Amino acid sequence: MHAVELGAGDPVVMLHGLVVGNLASWYFTAAPALAERHRVLLYDLRGHGRSERPRAGYDLETMTDDLEQVLAERGAAGGPVTLVGHSYGALVALRFAERHPERVERLALVEAPLLPGHADDLLGFLKLPEDSMIDALPADLRGALAQGGRRARRLLDGLLGLALETTLLADLAATRPPPDEALAGLTCPVMAVYGTASACLPGAHRVRALLPHARVEQLAGGHYLPLEKPAELSALLVDFTCAPPGATHG
Amino acid sequence: MTVNRDETLAQVADIIREVIGEAWVDETPIGMETSFSDDLELESIEFVALAERLQENYGDSVDFVGWLSQKSLDDIIALRVGELVEHILECAKG
Repeated sequence: MHAVELGAGDPVVMLHGLVVGNLASWYFTAAPALAERHRVLLYDLRGHGRSERPRAGYDLETMTDDLEQVLAERGAAGGPVTLVGHSYGALVALRFAERHPERVERLALVEAPLLPGHADDLLGFLKLPEDSMIDALPADLRGALAQGGRRARRLLDGLLGLALETTLLADLAATRPPPDEALAGLTCPVMAVYGTASACLPGAHRVRALLPHARVEQLAGGHYLPLEKPAELSALLVDFTCAPPGATHG
Repeated sequence: MTVNRDETLAQVADIIREVIGEAWVDETPIGMETSFSDDLELESIEFVALAERLQENYGDSVDFVGWLSQKSLDDIIALRVGELVEHILECAKG
């Protein structure tokens, strides 16, 4: 697994979203601000960025095993870590917290798809006609595709490689939202951040209902908040990770 | 540390070619005015790899993370090779 570290301090692991994400989604957005006070660990999920693209293992259990392996390789398997996840990365973070509640200091879920159907949105996305698929991408990637050339070729190669040469689509189709008890059982401080224009926004209601102590924030934007609202999201994450232990927010 | 602009440019160009790892870039001249975006079409994830390789090469004498963290993704993608070389030379001066 390709991993990068920034800064020093208590560890924060940042997990990106699937298909169009990689560790650069955080590296050039919220990671530097968090690295001023924390040891920030970023890695490319399997099949993404500069990590290998195995045929199988895109289910939550295997991806959570990957997170455990990265922590062990980086010497961060002992003490507690703060986890920040975007989209499917948030589901991996949540699954890790469910497995190891004692190892999670804080949990920040950015655009976590917590209701049925959202993983299917991604499946639908990959089945769209090419023109509609491009409209559904984050703006900077749309720009890269519109310009054509090397970046467009590599982006399409990555999308098609994941869709056609791996079990990603089947694994996503089999993914179920976290059960009520997984959310309600979280004991660490939790922050959930949603975009006001995102299809995942109803997940905020589920967090409020099941986790009354969680901090729920909304930013004007869609699903790709790390790229769309980097400054605003960084400020929220810095505030959340630096708040005194036990502090709660409305 | 004594550093020379041409030598630094040659080292940076070698590292860029290594990160891109495609045959065409071996034939592509890389100079101070070469644009990471327009000429090399570097992806953001390759920029991370470039920063890692530069840090390995130059060690703590050059602060890439601090330098990059002050720029937006748009600023970074719009960089020219020369700006990176000048940053390395500035750091080497101490």
